[in-house]
This record gives sequence, C-alpha cells and structure tokens, in this order.
Amino acid sequence: MQNDDINKQDQEILELLKDYPMPAAAAGFYEQALVRATHEGSRRQRNRWLLTGFGAAVAATIAVWMVGGMLLTSPQPPDAGAAIPGVTIALAEPQTVNLVFASATALDSAILTVSLPDGIELNGFPGQREITWETSLNEGRNLLPLTLVAVKPTGGELLAHLEHDDRDRTFRLRVDVI
Amino acid sequence: MRPHFDRLYRLAWRLTGAKPEAEDLFQELLIKAFGKLDDLVEIDEPGSWLCRVMYNLFIDEQRRFARRRMHTVEEGQLAGDGLEGLPGADSPLLNNERLEKLQRLDKALAQLSDEHRIVVLLHDTEGYKMIEIQELTGVPVGTVKSRLHRARSRLREILLADGTIS
Repeated sequence: MQNDDINKQDQEILELLKDYPMPAAAAGFYEQALVRATHEGSRRQRNRWLLTGFGAAVAATIAVWMVGGMLLTSPQPPDAGAAIPGVTIALAEPQTVNLVFASATALDSAILTVSLPDGIELNGFPGQREITWETSLNEGRNLLPLTLVAVKPTGGELLAHLEHDDRDRTFRLRVDVI
Repeated sequence: MRPHFDRLYRLAWRLTGAKPEAEDLFQELLIKAFGKLDDLVEIDEPGSWLCRVMYNLFIDEQRRFARRRMHTVEEGQLAGDGLEGLPGADSPLLNNERLEKLQRLDKALAQLSDEHRIVVLLHDTEGYKMIEIQELTGVPVGTVKSRLHRARSRLREILLADGTIS
C-alpha cells in the first residue's frame, strides 16, 4: 500500500516536471547572439594575432616593416610622399603577411584598425572591409600576421591605423594581385 | 550551429534557471564555438558537442551562472496574481491550480542541490536518457541514477509537506 502511494506520488511529480515550463527565446535573441558572437569572436581571435617578438614566423612569410622605432606622435595623416611598402599575392590563394610594428615604448589598450581594399579579404572573414580591435604593444617589435586573400585581381592599399590616447598613426601597405 | 539553437537554449535554461543567466551562457557558448568553427564542421554530432561545451562552461563559471532562484509568488498572494512571473506561465493550457502546483514545484526544485536539480530536470523534464546525461556531464550512469532517485525523494518530501501532492 505504501509503495502504491509512493508510486502515485512519483507519478504526480513526474507529470508536474513534464509540465514545468520555460519560455522560448525572445524574438531576435538568436540573431543578436550570433552578431555579438561574431564580433566578440573576431576581436578575441585578432587579439591573439598580435604576437610580440620576432620569431620564426617571419622567415616563413612576407614581413613588412610598418615603421622603424615608432613613437606615436600627434595625429597625422599618412605621409603621401613616403615610399609605400608593398606585397604581391596570388588571386584566391591565402597568403600571410606579417606587419611589424616597432614601438619605442609599451602601449596598453591601443586601438588598431585594419582597412582592406576592395577585393582583398582576411581569410575566414569574407566581406569584412574594416576590422578594429584593442590590443597592447610591447616595447620593441610587435608582429601582426594577417592572412590575406585576393578575391578580385584589382589589389589596392591596406591601411593599418594605430591609435593610443590622443595620438595615432596610419600605415599603408600596397597589395598587388597576380 | 543554427539547427541546435533551441536545444541549446533549453539546456541553458535548465542549467541556470533564469533568463539573464541562460542568455549569458548561450552567448558565451556561441563566442566559444565561433573560435572553433573549423573543428565543429568535423564533429559527428555537433549538437551533443555543443551541449557538452555549454555544460562545461556552466560548471567552470558556476558562480557567475549561479541560479537566481526563479520567479516565485510571495506567500499569501492570490492565485493568478503574479503568476505571469513563472516562466512559460502564459500558456493558455495551464489553469491556476496547475500553475500554483508548478510554482510549488519551482520552489521545491530551488531547494535541491544543483547536481540533483540538473539531473531531475534533464531526465524528467527534458527527456534526456541516462546515457545522454552521462555523456553531457561526464558523471557515470550509476551516479546519475542515484542522484535522480535522491532528487525525486527530496521533491516528494517537500511537495508532500506543502500539500502539492497527497
């Protein structure tokens, strides 16, 4: 008899548990979560890209010196008269270009924005023309590997804009496609 | 990942028991998964894998995702007043008496330990099999059975005491 009671009670609890409600996700929540994940994921991934040091990676890829002995100064436009470093990549073939930033001092919370010309994409991030993330630079050489893919044969100019406090500087890289 | 969203959201809810934490957990999972997209396409059962990642996230940051005890109605409130606070209580199929019982169940569940609450919700509410709970949590089936038994016993005690069941 006691077992019968327990079985009945358990059955009643089970029925309650089966009905135990929960709301559906709010309208648009999944879409917003995806957008945030894409943005945050990109930011975290690219923060890892900015490696310090000047290791073996350089030997395997093209290294482009963005500036020697860089000390950020007051805002200034790109120097149109200066020679622009360049790289040549093959159409539709991902190629890693290492941008080397040399900084005279350590810079915390610098904002780096990479703007890509039409037809050049970062591998794995189709359609994104501008990427901004926060990072820190060590004193000395800092390496930023960017894997570029040319989706059009046009090429163009890649801009890397570095901003820290009220100072900033823009570096230019010509990308030719063969 | 998209086809698994509803399942993942449900799991987030069952683990955390509250909307803000469930949404945070879901969001954290997407961010983590975003960085492993290359791995994800090679996984046989991405849904199960994502559930495991979510469970581990929950365990790793249990304090952050600590369950805010669910929306309950204060003692003495009339049936129907504030019932909308119970998650999913807008279902037209639930009458007030049923809702009151569910609220008491909600309070009873809040008295269980996380490990008991999660097992009973996954098994009895969400319909997970024992082996699926083992795969999700890494807890052996024998332990899952034991936790389920204890969770149900404790629920029976509480719900008998407050008159929800007889």
